[in-house]
Amino acid sequence: MLTVQALESGYGAMQVLWHPELEIEKGSITSLLGPNGAGKSTLLETILGSVRPWGGQVLYENRDITFLSSHRKVEMGLALVPEGKHLFPNMTVYENLLMGAYLKKAYEHREESLDIVYTLFPRLKERSRQMAGLLSGGEQQMTTIGRALMTKPRLMMLDEPSQGLAPKLAAEVFETIEKLKSDIGLTILLVEQNADASLGAADYAYIMHEGKIKASGTPDEIKASREIREAFLGV
Amino acid sequence: MFLEQLSGNLVQGVVLGSVYGMATMGLSLIFGVLKVVNVGHGAFVMVGAFVALFFFNTLGLNPIFAIPAAFAVGIALGLTFYYAAIRKLLHAPELATLLATFSAGVLLEETIKMIFGSEFRGYNWDVGNIDLVFTALPMSKILAALGSVLIAVLLYVWFKRTRAGSAMRSVVEDSQGARVCGINVDGVYAMSFALGIGLTVASGVLLTMFIPVGINPYMGGGYTLKAFVIAVLGGLSSPYGAFFGGLVFGLIENTSYTVFALIPGVEPFALTRFLSFLILLIILLIRPTGIIKAK
Repeated sequence: MLTVQALESGYGAMQVLWHPELEIEKGSITSLLGPNGAGKSTLLETILGSVRPWGGQVLYENRDITFLSSHRKVEMGLALVPEGKHLFPNMTVYENLLMGAYLKKAYEHREESLDIVYTLFPRLKERSRQMAGLLSGGEQQMTTIGRALMTKPRLMMLDEPSQGLAPKLAAEVFETIEKLKSDIGLTILLVEQNADASLGAADYAYIMHEGKIKASGTPDEIKASREIREAFLGV
Repeated sequence: MFLEQLSGNLVQGVVLGSVYGMATMGLSLIFGVLKVVNVGHGAFVMVGAFVALFFFNTLGLNPIFAIPAAFAVGIALGLTFYYAAIRKLLHAPELATLLATFSAGVLLEETIKMIFGSEFRGYNWDVGNIDLVFTALPMSKILAALGSVLIAVLLYVWFKRTRAGSAMRSVVEDSQGARVCGINVDGVYAMSFALGIGLTVASGVLLTMFIPVGINPYMGGGYTLKAFVIAVLGGLSSPYGAFFGGLVFGLIENTSYTVFALIPGVEPFALTRFLSFLILLIILLIRPTGIIKAK
């Protein structure tokens, strides 16, 4: 569904991505692991185009989308749940969700998308009139995922969705991600610090380090390799 | 007698203040969306004044027609300036956009001087007076104030009710959040900058009702400074805050003028300018986020 080849990008003169290669199977959850500063967030941002690619290629559903602008990619069904949520704090939960349906095609399907979001997160329906800035951390994360769902995505990239959440809430986030795959049929690319939970949900995993993919395999293979665990995951 | 003069000045202050407010909305809009301080603000106001002058003196047309024309000129100037310079400087250190907007102002001043010359000009749009008990107000000023309020209301409705307006609000709140919603953030930047300059140039037409013989290529400097005071009063990044900031500023300027005129041996106009900077200084010291709570 998504193929990344020899991607390069960075900030200013500093190159962050050094030709990572990855392949994401349709209908799967792919976990991207690695230490802080490995370039995982930059990879997601570069795939979406909010960080401009310098070179390499991103193929999405067999189309070269490398240099398309972010809003074109969102229109094609690519969604990012960014690190740090990036909600609109002075808009209500409902208004935040509706902003997700900004693009024309998503707007036409806003009612059914809203049903999907409220079924997945009944809590958001109760909170729909509340300002997003006043929500708890867990509710904010639900809203961010809900807003991304409103764009009617086929591939959803999540950047550290369990960050800063209590263990119980973090577990709920992982359950949600599995539901996104099984109930809604999304393909997921998941960046996480929480390696164990992430591997628990994933079908396949990549290990990233210093802007490159250093290893890949099924979760069982990754868990079985002491070398990988010690070198890159610190567990 | 003094009370009469004071209440007259209050009315004049509200009338002038609403035009000041409208003349600052563009500055606040641009700052709110792009975090760019348009140091050349006054020069764009000046362009609007010349559009009004051209319409009245050369084409013989009512200044009301000059408002949409000035708005269109502003949109065109804003888009050109955005794509020629601002867009490339958004991620550069702040000094870059300050210098760019400053030099755009100088460029406009010198261009207008080359075309129209540097002498003071003016026009007199006589549509009669309105007689209140304590003061008489030229109808042209009242129309300018009503026009300002109308434009402010239109902008408000546009912000709240249109798709483009909601895209702009979302970029103000969180540009990365807007981007993942599929909003063309660069497009919103261009549109906001153009709209901000459009409003600023249009406000130049309205301001000419208050300066019968004050139209000159270098007239903008004073308005830049006033706009900064007003924008800070209104919380800097909110166009509505700016509008109310303008009302407050107009009242202060007019009222203090009356009071200062009572002091023998001073030039009241110069003192009002001193007072506005005193106010700016005090606000920046005690409430740098503005005294009107921005929404």
